[in-house]
Parts: sequence; structure tokens; C-alpha cells
Amino acid sequence: MQNSTNDFKLPGILSGMLILIIFAGFGMGVSAQVRTIKGTVTAADTRETLPGATVALKGTTLGVVTDIDGKYSIKVSQEKAVLVFSYVGYNTQEVLIGDKPVIDVVLVLKKTTLDEVVVIGYGTVRKSDLSGSVGSVKSEDITKITALNPVQSLQGKVSGVQVTSTSGDPGASPVVRIRGVGTFNESSPIYVVDGIILNSISFLNSADITSMEVLKDASATAIYGSRGANGVIMVTTKQGKIGQEKTAFSFTGEYGMQNLAKKIDLLNGHDFAMISNEINPGTFNNIDAVPNTDWQDLIFRSAPIYNFQLSASGATKTMQYYISGGYFKQEGIIEKSKYERITLQMNNTYLLSPFVKLGNTITLSPYDQRVAPDATYAAYRAKPTLVPYYADGSFAAVPGVGNPLADLAYSNNYNKGIKAVGNLYAEITFLKSFAAKSSFGIDAEYNKSENFTPAFTVYNENGSISQQQHLLSTLSKGSSENLTWLWENTLTYQKEIKKHSINAVFGYTMQNTSSSAMGMLGSNILRDDPNFWYISPINIYDPTNGVNNINSIYDNVDINLNYSMISYLFRVNYVFNKRYILTATFRSDGSSKFTENNRYANFPSFALAWNVSQENFMKNVKFISKLKLRGSWGKLGNDKIPYNRRYATVESNIITIFGSNGSPNSGASFGVNGNPNLKWEVTTQTDIGLEASMFNDRLTCELDYYNKKTDDILIDLSTAGYYGNGPYAKVTYNAASVLNRGFEFNLGWRDQVGKVKYNISVNGTTIHNEALKIGGSYGVDSVLIGGYLGNGLPVTRSKVGLPIGAFYGYQTDGIFQTQAELDAYPHNSQAGVGDLRFVDVNGDGKIDDRDRTYIGSPIPTFIFGFNLGLEFKGFDFSFNIQGQTGNKIFNAKNLVRPDPYNFETNVLDRWTGPGTSTTEPRASFGGYNYTISDHFIQDGSFVRLRNIILGYTLPTSWSKKITMQSIRLYVKADNLYTLTKYTGYTPEIGSGDVISSGIDSGVYPITAVFSFGVNLNF
Amino acid sequence: MKAFAKLLFVVPAILILLISPGCKKFLQKDLQNELTQQSFPTSPADALMATNATYEILRDWYYNSGGYPILDIMSDDARKGSNPDDQLNYVGPYDVFTFSTSQDGLDRWWNTLYVGVKRANVVIQFVPAIQMDNALKTRYLAEAKFIRGLLYFDFVRAWGGVPIVTTVNPPQHLARASKEEVYALILEDLQFAADNLPLRSEYTAVNVGRATRGAAQALLARVYLFMHDYINAEKYALEVINSAQYGLEPVYVDASGVKGNNGIESILEVGAIQVDNTGGGGSQYGNVQGVRGTPNRGWGFNRPSVDFRNSYESGDPRYKGTIINLGDTIDGVVILGDGPTPDVTKDSLGNVIEVECYTRKVWVPGENTTTQWGFHRRLIRYADVLLVAAEALNENGKPADALTYLNMVRARARQGNNAILPDITTTVKNELSDIILLERRHELGMEGWRFWDLVRTGKAATVLGPLGFVAGKHELLPIPQSEIDISQGTLTQNPNW
Repeated sequence: MQNSTNDFKLPGILSGMLILIIFAGFGMGVSAQVRTIKGTVTAADTRETLPGATVALKGTTLGVVTDIDGKYSIKVSQEKAVLVFSYVGYNTQEVLIGDKPVIDVVLVLKKTTLDEVVVIGYGTVRKSDLSGSVGSVKSEDITKITALNPVQSLQGKVSGVQVTSTSGDPGASPVVRIRGVGTFNESSPIYVVDGIILNSISFLNSADITSMEVLKDASATAIYGSRGANGVIMVTTKQGKIGQEKTAFSFTGEYGMQNLAKKIDLLNGHDFAMISNEINPGTFNNIDAVPNTDWQDLIFRSAPIYNFQLSASGATKTMQYYISGGYFKQEGIIEKSKYERITLQMNNTYLLSPFVKLGNTITLSPYDQRVAPDATYAAYRAKPTLVPYYADGSFAAVPGVGNPLADLAYSNNYNKGIKAVGNLYAEITFLKSFAAKSSFGIDAEYNKSENFTPAFTVYNENGSISQQQHLLSTLSKGSSENLTWLWENTLTYQKEIKKHSINAVFGYTMQNTSSSAMGMLGSNILRDDPNFWYISPINIYDPTNGVNNINSIYDNVDINLNYSMISYLFRVNYVFNKRYILTATFRSDGSSKFTENNRYANFPSFALAWNVSQENFMKNVKFISKLKLRGSWGKLGNDKIPYNRRYATVESNIITIFGSNGSPNSGASFGVNGNPNLKWEVTTQTDIGLEASMFNDRLTCELDYYNKKTDDILIDLSTAGYYGNGPYAKVTYNAASVLNRGFEFNLGWRDQVGKVKYNISVNGTTIHNEALKIGGSYGVDSVLIGGYLGNGLPVTRSKVGLPIGAFYGYQTDGIFQTQAELDAYPHNSQAGVGDLRFVDVNGDGKIDDRDRTYIGSPIPTFIFGFNLGLEFKGFDFSFNIQGQTGNKIFNAKNLVRPDPYNFETNVLDRWTGPGTSTTEPRASFGGYNYTISDHFIQDGSFVRLRNIILGYTLPTSWSKKITMQSIRLYVKADNLYTLTKYTGYTPEIGSGDVISSGIDSGVYPITAVFSFGVNLNF
Repeated sequence: MKAFAKLLFVVPAILILLISPGCKKFLQKDLQNELTQQSFPTSPADALMATNATYEILRDWYYNSGGYPILDIMSDDARKGSNPDDQLNYVGPYDVFTFSTSQDGLDRWWNTLYVGVKRANVVIQFVPAIQMDNALKTRYLAEAKFIRGLLYFDFVRAWGGVPIVTTVNPPQHLARASKEEVYALILEDLQFAADNLPLRSEYTAVNVGRATRGAAQALLARVYLFMHDYINAEKYALEVINSAQYGLEPVYVDASGVKGNNGIESILEVGAIQVDNTGGGGSQYGNVQGVRGTPNRGWGFNRPSVDFRNSYESGDPRYKGTIINLGDTIDGVVILGDGPTPDVTKDSLGNVIEVECYTRKVWVPGENTTTQWGFHRRLIRYADVLLVAAEALNENGKPADALTYLNMVRARARQGNNAILPDITTTVKNELSDIILLERRHELGMEGWRFWDLVRTGKAATVLGPLGFVAGKHELLPIPQSEIDISQGTLTQNPNW
């Protein structure tokens, strides 16, 4: 951007004339040297006027502040005077007054991000004073993706963060992992929203968020002690801006259309009939005259997505306010699924005096969800040679899987509730350097579920009753509520004495979480009409039809939401001469989750950083504007663990039948033993990082090496039978260790070519995940088995030296081409010519269970993102590419075949005789070739064009005409294209259960979304 | 302004008040709606519940030798059953003695027996300290010891010596006790039970089904028989007979059937109700063996073998009381059987090696599989006691007395038809002992005794050899490999496994 004074340079003659006139004035003795200069200050980036900008006369103490419309007027007496325009966050501009009566100035945003303020736990810190590894995303990036859950905006933006959108189901939450998978238990990070610690932020509207900071290393997360091991995501919601005296309104409206991003290639009717005849000759008489039903087309549709938000914010002398209302509605691409959410946000700060501040942040978020039954799996399996409806319009039977359309038609699953999160706080500053803050927050949720299935019957073609039937209507209802309150008290000390800068915080916090849940099931409801969805005693136990639903009645406490904590925290950040930074953090957590002996645990961390660029010897290295080296070490905990296993409980529903009439007698006895010694999982993390800015801050880079080792992981181990715990019973011990290590990088380049401003950023993370110990001295369980498929067989086996949840099965080595080949190799008795050849891994000359081996990892070894942004005149354009490599997917939906089902088109390449195929075995509906093997392992690598946006901001002159500050229109597309070899709906297959990850048993597909929207500021 | 400054003092004041005394209490969260083992059993009601729970293990699916009736399947009386593929790799190996140390079912049986032992130990360890009626307390202890003795008797027959656990908190890495030590514990427990349990007639109607003095004596007789201590076997069998508490059902099928539930012949019986799950009071024992196909009463495991079918004396009504053939009509229901199961299976030489048939012993009149779950399994019945008495008397040189009891069993079987099942008259010891063993096969067929009868009489290798039985190995089951692994070598494997 050019200096604006140039724009007003008058031709030389004209200025000469002016000088003459002025001299004349002097001569006339009129005291005309004092005159008034007027003008408007605008921001280059937003094109909005800047209220509260300072306009000062250089070299004097004289100055004024722009008014609400960004206008100012100042009296000056000298032409050679210079006006200095300044505004926080913008480059200061000086303008020679000359003879101009009007000086309009456009201020340019500071390019440097060096001194941006970063939100860390219990405080903020200047980025230059930060010694830990923190990734940050600002509001403009957070709203780019149309998603219910704002955390999806981190996908591909912050190194070290893997966000897997596992499902297109409205309301589904993505799986988030920071720096690998740290434990066999819950591995999700915690979220801290304006100081309140939460497990999810799906209740927040993206437009209400100012920034999200991802705390990754021990220095940053140790302040959250026992909850920091899986990383912390700090979320700051918006506040009214000081100086914004005129209320700023902002409206965002967006409408999008979702479509199935990718269809699975399944056989059509003809091909299926052909293959069927090959397997069972004579199944179809005329393969050219069979029906051809595309079940996928029948269950998927286009579905709209709406997102609106209106906010008002501003500040007076005594308060700042931000209030907003939002509405989000997503219909599912499968009928009978949707998610609707209203968000109300109220953030206020009251300045009661220069020393006392009160404030609140409150979010109310009611939601209403409808969940579709699992129709995708049925559509995948249903034979294309079956018709969906009979001639009379009734549902046709689909043997084995059931008719997915009937499933949909008779499904009524609702889930609604309200989430309320908020806090009130008071902050007092005293003795200049101290600030005491007390904050009381709550996180409450009430949820109600309702599922109704009417009585129905799908008939076979011959009129007999098929398996797909529901004899009596059933209605289940459940409700749950939970409440957490959190009281945090901190004392902050901040002081700069010459070259020393010190910032210390001490805190004491208390938290209590409680919950309850109840449920009922009734049957034989009077009418199918929702007006009759109520349960009477007769529906619970009906002696006339023998229905007994008593076992489905529950009333309990969610053990994982019933605990209390007391914590002490301390952090000091000391900076010497802006060069040397030392951070020490300590948190001590006490939790009711553990017995008194293990109740408290301490989590320390230390970090050192060196701002090399501040050193004198760097002064001459002009191309480097910033260079920082940092290193940290610390211990963190994970308390999201099945701690209730410490209790040895009494099994109380033991029924024995006595009496000549056979009547139940109640009994109780000791159940499975507990382990009272259970304690926290502890993660030790080391991080070494480098941050640099070069070439006038055009190039920024950040590089980190992390090494994260988690010990004392809770796993369930078998115990000796004589303890009387029973078959398959296990006891939980702190007996496993896992390592995650790797590099992270973030490279950014921003510059301007002519009038085109652009920025490019690339980020990437390598992950090495390895189990270091499982079981140990407690028992034989040196492996953890998981990933149970629909047929009851497990597909993962985690063991020492392999990644968590590693796939386990037979290795294949081609196809038996001839009988001679079959005879020559060891094989299972079921194997025949044309079947998969399994590798005799242990070389004992036979193929049996012991030949199963490691066949792939569900954890990517590299995740990356690429972002590009362009601005030209009023246009803005950006896209985001994201991907991962190195992970495998187990295509379980293709393997589990209890009945003859449809095939993926790979079966067309099947073996049909010697030499016809070395990868696809002969066609079969089940049996040997469907043994768990690497034949079902597929490459899960992908590159996805996650998001692409084109926006246009109307010139201010146009928008002003309709009293708008700014109007921006945009179109965008999410998930437009994915490059992957994976044949399923999406290669993003995640699971909350880390030892069952990467297994595709049929997912609700990810959707491609095309949308358009408008941003209005007024 | 001063008001705000006061906040500076108020907040820390509240803090200090809260932190110091409330801290410990604040962090104490008790389990909701669940008892911990520290707080049970503490009352007379708890004592009763703890005692009741010990019986429940007998109805547990896995109590039945790990889920499937492998004891019959391992004998010459029965084949795997169901259709040829069903559980072929899990249950099939027991039929042909190819099962391994990690065979499915072994670990479940082992683990389940110890669950029962633990429940008995809860009573034995904690009930004595409860303030309650002394007579009742003694009965509870005797009931628990009876169950513990019963379970260890399963252990010692199946595996020989096993770790003895008599407390709820056994030490780590417990080794196997000797077979003799296990027998000593069984005798001690059962003697206590026999001395302290009420007679069957002393129980009120609602308590029928609990362990009785008669049951303890009958079990002692059986234990001594397995120990080849025929003097004591005779003694306890006769005590049961002379107690006048029991008799034979007039009709053979009622001895195992619904009409005889808790009847005169029943000495120890596992009560069940017609609910299709174990937790609610049903018994899967009848479901696993029930007729497969049409009518659908169960899975059809444990199929009477061709050899067993052919072993009956001609006209013995117990054949029809033990075996259901296709085409039979029972309680008005025609048995059609299972589609995927061949009606007749022949070997390559054309010999019939299997005929689709089912066990009659678990039949429950009704309409569906759910009614089948109401089967009451008989663990001891009077006919067995009579045959134990006969065997012991013969061994003790009293063949005449032996014949009395043996012929009582045959007389009931013949149902007044003198053309069949003539009285046995031989007093030659070896002949008579063979006859008694065969009589046990027919009287107690498909009730799980045959395999152990063959092992204890030393005839297993001869009879079962052709089926794969290896002498010196298959007399005992292998200790489950998983248990050996967990013990880190403390547990030793049985010979030749």
C-alpha cells in the first residue's frame, strides 16, 4: 500500500500559488496560521473507519482521537507540521500537513505477528515471550468451514493436530488427536472455553470465537496438570472492542447444499447375477433380465445446511459487550437425520472502577437431533437384483440385511437437549502489579432421547413373514443431566524492572461434576402417532402378551461424570532483556477418582527460550527479523480413564431358583476384584523448537521436535482363574507405556505483488507411535486385542514395538493358480485353486492362527495441510488442502458376510483361471477368502481439497448507500475433491476407541457442501 | 471503591474456610448404588443372599463343563451333535480327543468353578461374624461348604490337584495342591454339610432345592466311590437309603422330567424358570441340548451315539426315555429335526456312524425354546445312589445286598413288563461289577457320568481308545494354557499334555 500523502500531492504550480496566498495572508497580519484540519481514518484491511485512532501533532503533546465514524478535526498552526496517525495493531503513519484542509488516512495492519498476544492457561503472553509450543487459529479461519463443531476448522491448519471427520451424520463429532495417540484409553484433548474446562465444543457457534490456541508441549499444557496429557485447545469467545462506542452489528447468513461426496463402486444387477451364477450355477436364468437396484441412490439425497448469526458488540466507558444469536441447521443426506442448534452468547465486562472489573461469558445452546438408522451398511450389502418395493407399493424383503428403506421408514430416533456453559468473574488490580481474579463457572447439560419403532412386518415374496419385523411397537425414553461447577481463583503478578520482566500466577481451583441418567422402555404403544409416545405401566409389563421390559429400566450415575477435584497451580514466566525466557509451571491435582494414597499428583514443567534475534550480533543480519530457540520438558496427566475399576464391587443381581413352584430368590456375592492402587496415567513430554521470521516478516517458520512418552497407562489384564473373577474377567492395572515422537513444521509466506496480496502456508507433522510396554509383571497380556468386527472376530492386536491398534491377520502372497501350486505350498484345508495364498509366517509348514501377523497401522505417519489466500481489490480467495499418509484402513464391511451380499467392483477382476489374477481371488459369498487378511487392508492415505472460498467485498461507497459498513458475498465448497486409493466413502475412518481405529464397518458418508453466504457489518 | 477492596478480603476468607477442613471430604466420592466388598455381607439378609448366590453358579452356562456337555461327548455315549459344522472347531475336538491345552471351554469351566468357590468362601469367611440366629448361620455355612465340596469334586475329577482357595483374598502365584489334598478338603466340607444340614423334609416348601443332609451324604458316597473307598461309599449310600427321605419315580422319564421336578427321586437339583436368559433364572443346559430344527427347542448338541443306541437290552423303556428319534411324537409334538443335519451319516464303507437324534433327558413340554430354559438339571438322583450302593456292596463282598439295590432300579425301568429287563442274579464280583457299570450307562445315560465312570473303573483306554483316547493322558483334562501363562510357570501341566 502506498503512502496516502502521495495521493494528495498537488501539482507544483498549484502549491506555489497556495504559498503565495498564505504569504499574502501573513502580510495582511491576520492571525490565520491556526487552522483546522479534518479527515477520516480508515483501516486498509476491513475498509471500515477506525474510531478511537490517535491523531497527534508530531513533536508536541497535542492530539485528538477519531470519533465513532473515524472522523477527526485538529487545529494546527504550521504548514510544516506533521500529523502522526496511530492505532493499536496498525502501522503508524506520518503525514506532512502542507496546505491540505482535509487529510484522509488509510492505516495498514501491522504485518508482523511477532507481538500478537497468545492465550495460554490462566493468562496471556506476548508471542515473543512464549517458551512453549502453541498453535493458533484466528476467527476468519474458524468460520471458513461450514461445520457444527468449530474444532473442524483446525483440520490442516495447525501442525501436530489431527482432526478426523469420521462421519457426515449431522451432529457427529470429529475425532481429535494432538501429537499422536498417547494412551490406550481416551486420547482426546480437553477444551478450555473462556476458562471453563470441557470435553467438547460442539455447542459453540464458530462465529462467536475470536481465536483457538492449541497448547501442545509440556510447558504450555502443564498448567492443566492431570488433564493436559492429550493436549489442550483454548477457545476465546468474542468481546466488545474498547473504543467501539457505536454498536457494531454483524450478520452472517449461509446456505449450503450437501451431496454424497463419493459413491462406492458396487456391482450392478447384471454383473451381480453373472458372479452369482459363477458361484452357484443356475441362480439366475437370464442375467440380462434381472432387476438393477442402486440402493445407494435410494438412500442418499441432497440436503441443505443453514447457518445464521447476528451479533452486536461495542463498549462504553464502563462496559464492553458482545451478544449474539445463532441458528444452525443441517439436514442429513440420509432421510430422518438432522441437527438443529440455537446458540445464544452473552459476553460482558463491567469496569466498575479503574481497578475493579466484573464480567461474564455465557453460552446457551439448545439442540435437536434426529438420528437415522444404519442404512448405509444395508445399502452396501443389499443385492442389486432385489427390488425395493413390490408391485403393490409395500416394502420388499431383502434377506440377510433387511430392506434399508423399511429401516428408514420405521425409524424415529430423537435426541434433544440444552447445553449451558458460562462463568462470572471479578478481577481486582492492586498495588499496581497484582491482579486477583475469582471466576465461577458452570457446564450443564440436559439431554433427552426418544426412540419409537412401530409394529411392522416386511413380507417375503411368497407372503410369508421375513426376518425384518417388529411384532409390537416399542418406545424407549432416556434422559440424562450433568452439572459441573468450577471455581478458580488466581493471583497474578506482573512487573517490569529495567531489563527484567516477570509474570507469575498462582491459583487454587475447585471443581465438582455430577450426573444422573434414567431410562424406560415400553411396548405395545396405543397409537403410532407421536402424541401417544408416552409410557404407561401397562407398556412396561403386560401380562397379556408376556412382554417384560423391566430389565430395560435404568437409573444410574455416569461414573465418569461423578468426581471432584482440588488443584493448586503456579507458573512464572521470567524474561531477561527480551532475550532469555524461563518458564516454570507446576500443578498439583487432587481427585476423588483415586484412593487416598494416590489422590494427589504433581505435574511440573520447565522451559527455556532464547530470542536470538534480540542479540546485538544479530543486528546486522537484516534478513532475519526474529529467531527464537526454545526447549521444554514436563510431566502431564490423563484422568479420562476407567478409574472405577479400582473398586471391588458386589454383584447383586444373582438369582437362584428355589421352592417347589420354582421362585426366584435374590442373591449377591463378590464380583470382579478391583485394583485400589490405580493412579493417573503420566506423560513425559520433551519439545525442542525453533521460530523464525525472515525477509521483513514475509517468511515465517516454526519447527518442533516432540517426544511424548506415556507411562502407567491403564489396561485390563487377565488374572489367575483362582481369584474367582470368572471367565474373560480382567482387572485394570497401570501397566502399559506408549511413545509418540516426531517433527512438526509450519511455514508461511505472505507478500504482495502489485495489488494482489497473497499468503501461503504449509504445515506438517510426522508421527511415530509405538507401544513400549503392555502388561509387564502383572500377567501374560502382552497384547491388547480389539477392533471386534460384526462377526465377533478381532482385527487389531497392539503389542510392544508396534503402533497402537495395529492390524493383525494373515499376509497374502498371491492366488493359488493351479492345483500343483496349491499342493506345493502349505495351506489351510479350506483353501482351493483360485483362493488367496497365505504366508506361512512362522515357517512350520502349515497355515494356522500362529501365522497371523502385523499387517498395517491405522495411525498416519505424516499429516499435512496447505493453505493459500489471495486478496485483490475487493476479492478474496482461499483454499485449504489437507491430508495424511502412512495409515491403513481395514475394509471390514467387505469382509463380514454371514449371507450372500453385493460386491465391490474389484470382484470383476477376480481369478477365473490360471494367470487371470494374482490379487483378486475367485468369487465367493463367504468362507476362506474372507478370513482376516491383508487382502482387506487398503491404503488410507489421502489429499483432500477441504475448503475453497471466493468472496467479494463491495466497495465502501456502495455499501454506505444502504447504510452498511461492509458487505461481503461469498461462495464456497467443502470436501470438493479427495485424492485417495481407498474405495469406501471416505478415507477418514476414526474411532473414539483407539484400539478399534481405522476399521470401516460402514460409515455415514462425508458430504461435499456447496454454499453461498453473506457477511454484513453495520 | 472501598466496597470492592473488601472483596479482596472476602474471597481469600472463603477460600481459607473451604480449603482447610473440607478438602478431604470434598474429594471423597462414594460409589452410587453399588456395594463394595468392604460392606458386604454384614446383616442376616446379606448372609442369606450370599448363600443363595453360591447355588446360582450351578445354573451358569459355563458350569456345564464350559458351556457344552463335553463329558458325554468325550464318552462313547454321545457325539458332538447339532449340524456337522456347528462349533466343529470348538466342541468337535472333544469328540475325537484332539482338543488342545487352549481348547475353547476349558478355561471357562475352570474359571466358573472358581467363581463358585469364591462365593462359597464369602459365606464361610464373613457369615460367622454376623450377629444372627445361630441355627440359621450354621445352615448357611453348611450350604456353602456343600457347594464348595461339590465344586472341588468337579475340579479333582477333571484336572486332578488344583490350587486350593479357601479365602476371598488368595495370594499371588498359587501352586497346585495334590489330588489327595483336594480330596481331603472335599471330605471335610461335605462331612460338615452332612452333620449340619437339615433333612429334606425339614425344609419348608419355599426352600426346596437347597442342599440337604441327604444330598451331602449322597455326594460323600460318590466321592468315596471315586476314591475307591468302598466301605465309606457303602456307608453313606446306605445312610441316604435308610433315611427314608427318597424313592424312585414310578415312571422313568419323570426322574429327569418336569413331573419329577423336586420329586421323590431328586436329591440335588438345579432349579430354573422358563426365561430365555441365565440372569433371569433360565438354564441354558436344556437349551444347548434341546431338539434342533422342528420343533425348535434348542441347538441339538450332545447326540446319542450309534454305539449307545445299540447298547440297550431289547425292549428297555429307558431307550425311549433317553433318546428322541426323528418321527417320535412327544407330548403331541412330532419330531422332524434339523434341515442341515443329515438324518443318517455313513462312513466310506457304508456303515452308519451317526443318526440324527436328540437327548430326551432335557425335554421340557412347551411351545418354544424359552420353555426349554426351564429344565431342572438333576445333579444327584436316588437311582444313582442305589447304584452306588450296589457297586460298593459288591466291592465289599456283599453281592446279595448289591443285587437288591440294582434290581430296584431295573424293576422301576421295566414298568411291570416282566418280559423285559429280568432281575440280575449273578453274584460273581467281576461279572456283577460289569453289569452295574452297564446299568449305570443305561439308567444315567446322557447325564454326564459315563466318561468319569470309565476313567474311574480303568476301562477308559479300552472303551474310548478307538475314539482317540490316549491312556495316561486323557484321564485328566489339561490345565488351561492361559492359566499356566498367567501363573508365569507356577502351575504345572498334567502328564503328557
